[in-house]
Amino acid sequence: MGARRVLVVDDDPTLRETLGEVLADDGFDVRVAWNGRDALEKLDGWNADLVILDVMMPVMDAFGFQSALDERSEPAPPVILLSAAPGLASAASELGAVSVISKPFRLQDLIAEVHRVVGPMNGTAPASI
Amino acid sequence: MAITEVREIDQRRQAAPRASHTLADLSHGPEAFRLLVEAVADYAIFLLGPDGRILTWNLGAERIKGYRANEIIGKHISAFYTTEDRRNGRPERNLREAARRGGIEDQGWRVRKDGTRFWADVQLSALHDDQGKLFGYAKVTRDMTEVRAAEERERQLMMERQARVLAEEALKSRDRFLAIASHELKTPVASLQVAVESLLLSREQGTLDVPRTERGIERMDRAVKRLAMVLGELLDVSSLERGATTFTFADVDVSRIASEVIERFAGVEGQGRIKADLQPSVIHADGIRIDQVITNLVDNALKYSSSPTPVTVRVAPQPSGALIEVSDIGIGLGLDAASGLFEPFSRASNAADIPGMGLGLFITREIVERHGGRISGKAAPGRGTIFRVTLPKQPPRNGDGGS
Repeated sequence: MGARRVLVVDDDPTLRETLGEVLADDGFDVRVAWNGRDALEKLDGWNADLVILDVMMPVMDAFGFQSALDERSEPAPPVILLSAAPGLASAASELGAVSVISKPFRLQDLIAEVHRVVGPMNGTAPASI
Repeated sequence: MAITEVREIDQRRQAAPRASHTLADLSHGPEAFRLLVEAVADYAIFLLGPDGRILTWNLGAERIKGYRANEIIGKHISAFYTTEDRRNGRPERNLREAARRGGIEDQGWRVRKDGTRFWADVQLSALHDDQGKLFGYAKVTRDMTEVRAAEERERQLMMERQARVLAEEALKSRDRFLAIASHELKTPVASLQVAVESLLLSREQGTLDVPRTERGIERMDRAVKRLAMVLGELLDVSSLERGATTFTFADVDVSRIASEVIERFAGVEGQGRIKADLQPSVIHADGIRIDQVITNLVDNALKYSSSPTPVTVRVAPQPSGALIEVSDIGIGLGLDAASGLFEPFSRASNAADIPGMGLGLFITREIVERHGGRISGKAAPGRGTIFRVTLPKQPPRNGDGGS
């Protein structure tokens, strides 16, 4: 089985680049996108095992992305929602996210959550949440 | 005259029913008027001589002022005034003014026989004979104490209600501001934290090489700059809200400001994405702040529409001032089609739902309002967003700085 695929979607370049790098170091096959529309393009012919998704982004936000995803024939990948906005829980249930992480967060917590959702990589045991 | 009056006050109660039998006979004579006036209980109606001495008295006067006719007739009008008013010559002044102008209205405290005060509404009319010589005054006084007290209570209630509404609005506004501020700060703090922790993680794993360190430093630098920018905006908003920002108004051509803004963006955006339709529109405004408004709106439009689509800036003179329109054909911000863009500001729970725009729009709106202008925004999914700013030729007088 190849490396698990993770798509990181956030309009903040520092965040998406750093997360992408850290997850790649951890053995994931990573792509990054800066908004929902960009994310849809990145998912074209590349089925992700997990999407780490910011809620509010220019051009296409998490809601637009999710509804576009629902129209595709492929099963939608699980989503971890990242957001600095209030009312995150209701956004998460509306978007059917498997979990939510509010900004700012500990990097270790996010990595642990990624492992919990897609399973351990490199033989290391996932941290439990 | 005085004797007649003394007699009548005691006879009045009998006089009235007796009068009713003969009212038809009397209706054209002066006696009818006398009876009528005497019977009025809510108004003090009486005559004064040219010297201000009281000549007649009625039921209303007795009820309001507490004097019986025999106690007051022949006394000077100043008996009803307060000590202060007497000292200030108000009774004489009122008489003089009434004689000069034909009549006056006066409101103020008057004193009853027992020394208590009442709030009087007084009409004092001068009476002249055929030759135009002053021969006296007619005085009509109403006791307005209760009306005034009721009005005062009503006014108090109104003021309390207004104060409560203002306090609630201030609280809501502060909550909105805090919601936007915390959202705006969380994003760069999250980036900074992730950048720092990724370096710490690499160090822990023994993979911290020079390229990694350099990338980390660059990311931290970017996040800190963003944080400083947000902080600057927060201070700007706070200063604008407190009214502490000084505006310097001068005659400016909004179209020139817009063309400078577009030129600045053209350097960054290139590709001629910004379309301009600019007509000279001179208004009295703070040029630097108007630049900030247009910059914010263009920045948003570029950010919220994808690359090939144009952003249009239109400036046009209007009879009342100037119009600025910034529109894009982007995705309309993903907001509900019907909801105005500024609605999020009025709903605390959604206050932070416009990322990155929160403070910029907040500042923009504050500036426009301080110019006495209006800003509105409409977003329709798939059809883009349009912001419309109207600015008056002259800012309101209470706008700071003045000119």
